[in-house]
Amino acid sequence: MRKFGLLLAAGLAAIGVSAQAQNIGIGLDIPLSAPGDAAGGQMIRRGAEIGIDMVNAAGGVLGKKLELFVTDSQSAPAMGVANYRRLVGENKVVAVTGFFHSSVALGINEVAKEMGVPTLAVQASASDITAKHYDIAFRTHAVDPVRVAAWMEFIKKKGFKKISIIAETTDYGIGLTDETIAQNKSGKAGLDIQKITFDNKATDFTPQLLQIKSFKPDLVLNIGVGTPVDLIMDQATTIGLLPTTPMLISYDAPTRPQYWQLHPKNGEGIYFIAYYSPKSPLSDLGQAFAKAYKEKYKEDPVYGALNGFGAIEILAQGLKAANSTDPKALIKALESGTFKSWPDAPVTFPRADGVYWHNWVPPVLIVHYTKPNQDWKEADIAVTYSKK
Amino acid sequence: MFSTELVAQTAISGVMIGVLYALMALGITFIYSIMRMINWAMGEFYMIGSYLQFMLVAWVLGPDLWWLAILISTAGVFLLGLVVQWGLIKPIFKKPPEMRDDYATVVTLALLLFLRSIATGLAGPNQFTPGSTLPIMMIGPMPMAGARVAAFVFALAALGIFWAVLRYTWYGLALRAASQSRVGVQTAGIDVLSVDRVAFGIGVALAGLAGALLAPVFLVFPTNGMITTVKGFEIVVIGGLGSIPGALIAGILLGLIESFGAAFIDSAYQNIYGFLLVLAILVLRPTGLFGERGREA
Repeated sequence: MRKFGLLLAAGLAAIGVSAQAQNIGIGLDIPLSAPGDAAGGQMIRRGAEIGIDMVNAAGGVLGKKLELFVTDSQSAPAMGVANYRRLVGENKVVAVTGFFHSSVALGINEVAKEMGVPTLAVQASASDITAKHYDIAFRTHAVDPVRVAAWMEFIKKKGFKKISIIAETTDYGIGLTDETIAQNKSGKAGLDIQKITFDNKATDFTPQLLQIKSFKPDLVLNIGVGTPVDLIMDQATTIGLLPTTPMLISYDAPTRPQYWQLHPKNGEGIYFIAYYSPKSPLSDLGQAFAKAYKEKYKEDPVYGALNGFGAIEILAQGLKAANSTDPKALIKALESGTFKSWPDAPVTFPRADGVYWHNWVPPVLIVHYTKPNQDWKEADIAVTYSKK
Repeated sequence: MFSTELVAQTAISGVMIGVLYALMALGITFIYSIMRMINWAMGEFYMIGSYLQFMLVAWVLGPDLWWLAILISTAGVFLLGLVVQWGLIKPIFKKPPEMRDDYATVVTLALLLFLRSIATGLAGPNQFTPGSTLPIMMIGPMPMAGARVAAFVFALAALGIFWAVLRYTWYGLALRAASQSRVGVQTAGIDVLSVDRVAFGIGVALAGLAGALLAPVFLVFPTNGMITTVKGFEIVVIGGLGSIPGALIAGILLGLIESFGAAFIDSAYQNIYGFLLVLAILVLRPTGLFGERGREA
């Protein structure tokens, strides 16, 4: 009986291995719990899952199906690195995509450059993710200099002089703060900048906001990710900083469906960064994805979902171009190829200078909610900035 | 950038958050004082209290009956605590006493992961808020959210009621006696496991109450109890494990240190100031400000 049990177990294991061998694994490391931006991670996951379904429905890649392995980084670099090791070591993935939090992407790239399996960051913006010029590091997202250039243009347009930055103490928050201070200096903008930083696990921002209020800024730059963004908004409203002083949120969190549920009274008047305008045309692939997404989730896809989908499409096209699942061949194909993703523009990853190494950068928009419960697709676009 | 107004505002903000921290810690220290076990899943009972508050306000009672929702949420967490104690904790107390700590740690850590996973599975990773119809109020020079002021008042009232029950009722006497000697209570004819059940229910209900009160202030999501657990244990170390006045004073002290540190030293280290205080207490008075030196055979 015991022998039969062992034989059965071995047989089942062999079937499992065989099924796994037929698929090509792609890793997706995203935040799915706090202190990470779990809602942001969920959007990327939705897009990537539909991407996998669409690629497989079209016949797969190299005669095999794609399989997605999802891990939760919680925004912790150590967790992200452990996830990457497991995805590469156990799940034998050919690439790892996702990455919402810059610190996680930076940590993973240090290990990835040794293990050799490429990474494709879809919503992490710290310059060093690509500026270190690692062979394995790719990205399809706005980088710090472009994002900061967009809000410097906005600040100039509005004639603001005193700026308060409230930023989390992560590579994302510190990177954007330092870049703002650097561009203020290099561009001779002459802004008076107050820098306030916070731990992203904090929940009470009243002491920081009181300091900001006493500084009397023309604009508050809210450089938090996830829950802190909303808590800062609410607590700023309580102490009378909002709506008197305009606030600019550093990413596209307000495009998410729960924004107006969380901020029915203080969501109006907020400015925020976005990377995609519904007024911009989508590619045929993007349109097919948007249709599939709307059918499945009864809402329009936001940028995170589009970029999660785009990452899967790009990797699938890269594998086809490489005609191999070998990581080195995939890296070469990504560097030399031109790919079709959700925007109506070709996506490339040249070995370019500085931060633009292996980096396709979408345009950056500054969007303004002018009415309560406004659909983000109808919000005003205050600034559109493209990489010069 | 010192100003009298900023100092006063920072002090008020620190005391307000400190009392709420104390409420979070009180459950941990109360359960420990009776049962001599640490409930590592305390933050998850806070989380359940916040979800109950959200569901009751958003779907059943409406925002005007937020106070009724708080009472129902707290009662709900109390009942859940009774069930958890009966199903998971009581069997531990039938094991040899020397193994209880290990069992309690494993069981409550497993409970933490289970409850967090259930919340993520059922409600998703998104944040929610029950909202509040209470207006912004001025506390001296400090504008405060009505929901935060209400949480502060409820927390003070709960601490007062809790103290009065312990001090003036027969059951409070039994609870205090159990905290001094479990064997002594048994020799007086009291069912100590029944006392445990009520103590566990009250302890987690205090966390649930904190969760319900703070739901409109700090939002509702599956891991919102994490900060509760961290702050709660900091306060327990500062105030002394098992000391109820210690929890209140340590909570206010922690709130003040964090607020002043963030406002006048460096806001990046807001969570570090509390740990520095914990380290100082451990060096100078390892049993905490109000803790008593234990006697072990």
